[in-house]
Amino acid sequence: MDVDRTTARSLRRTLLAWLLLPLLVIAPAAVTLQYALVLQPAQAAFDQALGNTALSVAAFVNESGGQVRFDMNPQVERTIRTDQQDSVYYVVLGPAGQRLAGDPPLASHPTLAQSAPVLGADELAYFDTSIDGQTVRVAARGVACGEAVCQVRVGETEVKRQRVFRDSLMGTVAGVLAFALASGLSIVLAARRGLAPLRHLGEQMGQRSLDDLRPLDETRTPRELHGLVAAMNRMLERVRGGSLAQQAFLADAAHQLRTPLAALKNEAELALAENHPPEMQAMLVRLNTSAARAARLSSQLLALARSDSAAAVALPNEPLDWKVIAAEAAQEWVPRALAAGIDLGFDLQSTPVQGRGFLLRELLANLLHNALAYAGASAQVTVRCRRQGDTAVLEVEDSGPGIAADERQRVFERFQRGSAAASSCASQQPGIALEGSGLGLSIVRDIANGAGGRVELLDALLDSSLGAPAGCGLLVRVTLPVAGAGIQKSTQKISQESTP
Amino acid sequence: MRILLVEDDAALADTTTRAFKAQGWAVDWSARGEPVPASVKQDPYDLVVLDIGLAGIDGFETLRRLRAQGSTTPVLMLTARDAVEDRVRGLEGGADDYLVKPFAIAELVARARVLTRRAQARQGDVLSLGLLRMDLPAKRAFLGEAALELSAREWSVLAFLLERAGKVISKDQITQAISGWDEQLSGNAIEVYVSRLRAKLEPAGVKVRAVRGFGYLLEAGLNDEP
Repeated sequence: MDVDRTTARSLRRTLLAWLLLPLLVIAPAAVTLQYALVLQPAQAAFDQALGNTALSVAAFVNESGGQVRFDMNPQVERTIRTDQQDSVYYVVLGPAGQRLAGDPPLASHPTLAQSAPVLGADELAYFDTSIDGQTVRVAARGVACGEAVCQVRVGETEVKRQRVFRDSLMGTVAGVLAFALASGLSIVLAARRGLAPLRHLGEQMGQRSLDDLRPLDETRTPRELHGLVAAMNRMLERVRGGSLAQQAFLADAAHQLRTPLAALKNEAELALAENHPPEMQAMLVRLNTSAARAARLSSQLLALARSDSAAAVALPNEPLDWKVIAAEAAQEWVPRALAAGIDLGFDLQSTPVQGRGFLLRELLANLLHNALAYAGASAQVTVRCRRQGDTAVLEVEDSGPGIAADERQRVFERFQRGSAAASSCASQQPGIALEGSGLGLSIVRDIANGAGGRVELLDALLDSSLGAPAGCGLLVRVTLPVAGAGIQKSTQKISQESTP
Repeated sequence: MRILLVEDDAALADTTTRAFKAQGWAVDWSARGEPVPASVKQDPYDLVVLDIGLAGIDGFETLRRLRAQGSTTPVLMLTARDAVEDRVRGLEGGADDYLVKPFAIAELVARARVLTRRAQARQGDVLSLGLLRMDLPAKRAFLGEAALELSAREWSVLAFLLERAGKVISKDQITQAISGWDEQLSGNAIEVYVSRLRAKLEPAGVKVRAVRGFGYLLEAGLNDEP
């Protein structure tokens, strides 16, 4: 089950990668596109303005009688040249290319020779050149002067254009970045949110006890997980089915064992009652005891299998009353106690518990069996039950030899029996202790734990007037949660009927 | 006394038969449930000992058919399951008692005796146990030939116990059974009646045994085998 977390593929990481990586491509593309869309028209607008200036300058080119003249008054020239950011240049060339007016760099710059076209009348062209190390955008226009064509060129440095370029680029980048950031954030949130049902499902499974094989709730999971939940439920159902089949097999095996064991036991009993060689006596007694023990073991194993597995889920969890269960047990155990010379008594108050009837009866049967088997003849055994606040208390107390304090933990282990009686109780008759299987108390504990309770082994509180030496005896106390308020009514009815 | 034993395990049937025969009782054995209703109709059995797990129809079905034909013969069910559901089902189906395998022979014999006695005790309107007889319509009780004087309350308590002889009866059950409409009896009152009854019955060998903190158990002494 150990998953190497560093190499295991994360669904969330995959999802994020596939959603965020495209964003890394989309964002620069968006910048480029935005830039192109904004900057080209801006460039064209600047060019057009420059072209218009060239047209204004061209209006001052006159021809009269073969003589080309350019007379722009200084006021207009100032207006043309006035610009807050850029330096503006112009030049007017005669038909032969001679400079009529304006700035020489635009007329004869070395780079100009290659890029500057010679234009026909009313033709317009744009090109870049360099003046004093600065890039200058030039609008060139052909102007008819008589038969020939004069050239007008107006140029300006690119401070304005650079600034628009810069502002536009920064704006675009900022916009796209904001968009990318917002998208990225919402993607991360969406991935977390979208995967939450999956995490929830995992937690739901993780928190379950191993015995809980009920199907998962399909209605509260998203549609995409229905397939998974259905598959899991099918698997749970199969595990449950297997567990039930195993239970049925165990129950069947335990029951099948009992008939031959009964025959074996009865054969030994009959042989004991009939004439038999004296040397057979001990053997027949052992045979009888072993058969009884084997039978008891089979039903205890069955109880263990039922108490600590998922099959307990299959048994109905019902509102019960210790008083009623103990009264039922009285029918069976009082005659046995009388036959064994044991004083079996009761002190029963209505004690509602929620549980599985079979298991609670088995719990009490094990406690009674132990008490009768270990306490010995003329012992006193008392079954008590009462409600104590929020707990339902069942006690079985005996005046037998008890269990030494340092052994009390050990006897809960399976197949462990208590050792010989404590020395202070030597006056007590030892019980038929060897009959025990060593499973009784572990069954009691398993059943109590399964029902949300616990078992304690305590010193008996025996009334010394009843003949038990102090420090002897054993009190087994089983504490279970009291049944919920829902069944209060029925228990009240019981307690009314049964005033002691 | 004649017993019909219905048990499909030959070894167990053999030991059980021997145990009954040792008591001087006659035993017929059937391994299957199907012929039981006819046998019971034909022969007057005092008791049917019926195993639940039979080949063919099981013990429950056999019991159902038996009761369906109106037979009141006492039935003691043997079960290899100690699930209470089985016991309840058997008792509701008309069984009179049940015993879980493996059982002690002494317990089997004792239960069988209680059942047949109870059946015999109900012959007509007379209940009896050992030397004790209660003639219900005449409201007269006898210990052997001698009339037994009982107060009305003592009569009710004894009749209730005698009808359930051999069973552990709680004080609550007795209180509920004999309290009148006008009067709620206390547990202490029951104790008083029982101690008086005990004094009257003891000489005849009929014992009212006390189960501490719970109730009573009426049983005959050992000197009154029927």
